[in-house]
Amino acid sequence: MDRKLLKVLVAIALLLIGAWIYVYQTSQPGVVSLRFDTVVGEEPLALNETRYPNPGGAGLFRVRDFQFYLSNIVLHGKKKDYRVPDSYHLARFDNASGRYQLDLPGVPPDAYSAITFSIGIDDAANSSIASVGDLDPNSRMAWNWEVGYKFVLFEGALLDGDTVQPLVYHVGFSENRKILRFDLPESFAPGSPEPLSFTVDVMALFTGKVTIDMAALPNVKFDRADARSIAENYGEMVSLATTTGDAQ
Amino acid sequence: MNRSVALLMLCGLLLAAAAVGFLRYIEPRPTPLQGFTAPFVFGKFNVPADNPLTQEGVQLGRRLFYDKRLSGDNSVSCSTCHIQQLAFTDGKARAVGISGNPLAFNSMSLANLLWGAQRFFWDGRAATLEEQALIPIQGADEMAQDLNELIGELKADEAYPDLFRRAYGKISAENIARALASFERTLVSADSRYDQYLRGEVKLTAEEELGRKLFMAHPDVKVSLRGANCIDCHSQFLTSGFSTGFDGFSNNGLDTEEMLRPGLQLVTGQLADRGRLKAPTLRNIALTAPYMHDGRFTTLEQVLDHYNEGIRYSETLSPLIMEADNQPRDTISMRFSLNLNEEEKHAIIAFLHTLTDRRFITEEKFSNPFEAGD
Ligand code: HEC
Ligand code: HEC
Repeated sequence: MDRKLLKVLVAIALLLIGAWIYVYQTSQPGVVSLRFDTVVGEEPLALNETRYPNPGGAGLFRVRDFQFYLSNIVLHGKKKDYRVPDSYHLARFDNASGRYQLDLPGVPPDAYSAITFSIGIDDAANSSIASVGDLDPNSRMAWNWEVGYKFVLFEGALLDGDTVQPLVYHVGFSENRKILRFDLPESFAPGSPEPLSFTVDVMALFTGKVTIDMAALPNVKFDRADARSIAENYGEMVSLATTTGDAQ
Repeated sequence: MNRSVALLMLCGLLLAAAAVGFLRYIEPRPTPLQGFTAPFVFGKFNVPADNPLTQEGVQLGRRLFYDKRLSGDNSVSCSTCHIQQLAFTDGKARAVGISGNPLAFNSMSLANLLWGAQRFFWDGRAATLEEQALIPIQGADEMAQDLNELIGELKADEAYPDLFRRAYGKISAENIARALASFERTLVSADSRYDQYLRGEVKLTAEEELGRKLFMAHPDVKVSLRGANCIDCHSQFLTSGFSTGFDGFSNNGLDTEEMLRPGLQLVTGQLADRGRLKAPTLRNIALTAPYMHDGRFTTLEQVLDHYNEGIRYSETLSPLIMEADNQPRDTISMRFSLNLNEEEKHAIIAFLHTLTDRRFITEEKFSNPFEAGD
């Protein structure tokens, strides 16, 4: 056989293999990683450090624990919406990296334009004692089974002069689930090594829609109106860092 | 193909098959434990992949647990300090082992170890039950046994070599730990009156029900909800600490700053974890006096007095304890009280008594096999 023809054939074969690999890979489900970093205003949240000013009054506060439930993640695709199964995730930040990363495997290939998720959980899950996803009725996020789950847990202390005032914000109740939606960048695709990066502004809990004086309202638990104020605020605490996203 | 090559290949094949058969024979194939169940409300649990629950492992572990030869002078077994009738505690403020010197700590109940904080000891210094099991064996005050000596003793025994062979293969420190941990994982307490109530089989008395409600509520004066906030640290169904991360460790106000033990700080090195200790299960609590890590309280009345009016402040004191109050809180004072009344305190104690599980403390499978004679 003539050498030239052989070269051409080899080149065609390589091209075909390459194309096949490309098509195969882009048609395979991939991992979508979501990353959440906590900030207070502009700087990263430092746990257990008394350094943040009370937004509505005197004193400095520290955060000892901050965690919340993320749930019902949906990726809105061109072909189809992808609903993450058993989507109940406890976001917590008391680890070495100080961030929460969530890897969602098996996301089908599609052109996704937006993501929605909830802060808090749906009513059905909130009135159940089944351990689905990160839901656990024997965890610190559970009130007793007649009440349901805390959606957002914030514990710490406010220091003013010699007084140490405990801060306890345990906010739940099904009506306080907040559904957030963010537009995704064009470049977004399952399997991408870059996670979708969100920031969670802890200060927004107290400054979002309603400014809170921690000395006057050092705890929120079962009072519906108080819980609603904080929930309005946490509805605005998450933003998508990689693009401009709007909470709705 | 040449005939002799074919013959050679056939021989090779036969040899390989024989080898596999032989390996199968010496490699133990224990039977997965049958009928191991736990209530739905206890939730998920994890048995380590490298130590699955097997009949042989559990049976061996039970024997080891009750065998005094695990101690240096054959006088102390695990069951010396973990007595079934006392829900696997010992009734002493601080446990006493081979040396006769009281240990620094109160003996812990071994009920429902598969749930709750998955680190062991009051300060969480053991990461697994396997790791935990070898610590008292070698402790100078507990059992003062040299592991190699113990292995020698077990090898010389009539029964152990076969029991180990069937469960794990050989006698080793690792397999001793595996067997003890397996037995401990089967110690499930799930038939108290509270369990029967959860299953809908019995009703609680009015007093117990009041106690249950108080136990299960963080108080909120604003909505007139009275509560004792026990559930803030002792989970609703298990009554143990929480299993996620270090959530099952707290500072419940036993000591002032100066007197605080390091607790979890020993494990994490974090100042913020100083004085955080493991919130234990409260199941069978009426049987496990004295209470707390150093056995400082002899009665449940004293425990309730502590939570109600005895809280001592330190930097790491739980904010939930500081904040929980059934009266409008005077934010300036640094005194903390639940402000429960006597009737409410009694009701909580009545509820705590519903956590006693007679079946657990008489269950034959958990008892001393040397006395049962099997
Ligand atoms: C001398 C008395 C004594 C002996 C003997 C003893 N223990 Fe203990 N055990 C204790 C005490 C005291 C604690 C708590 C100690 C601490 O936190 O440092 C404890 C804690 C434990 C725990 C931790 C429980 C939890 O919830 O974290 C387990 C498990 C345990 N023992 C198993 C065993 C086993 C298995 C043996 C036998 C190999 C054994 N113990 C022998 C006294 C004893
Ligand atoms: C802030 C968390 C927290 C709260 C709230 C709490 N506990 Fe505890 N509890 C603990 C911890 C931690 C321990 C072990 C402390 C130690 O020994 O140092 C403990 C120990 C106990 C013990 C002794 C257990 C034993 O085996 O010795 C009893 C009984 C008990 N708690 C009952 C209650 C009751 C009843 C309530 C509600 C009135 C309550 N607890 C509220 C964290 C808590």
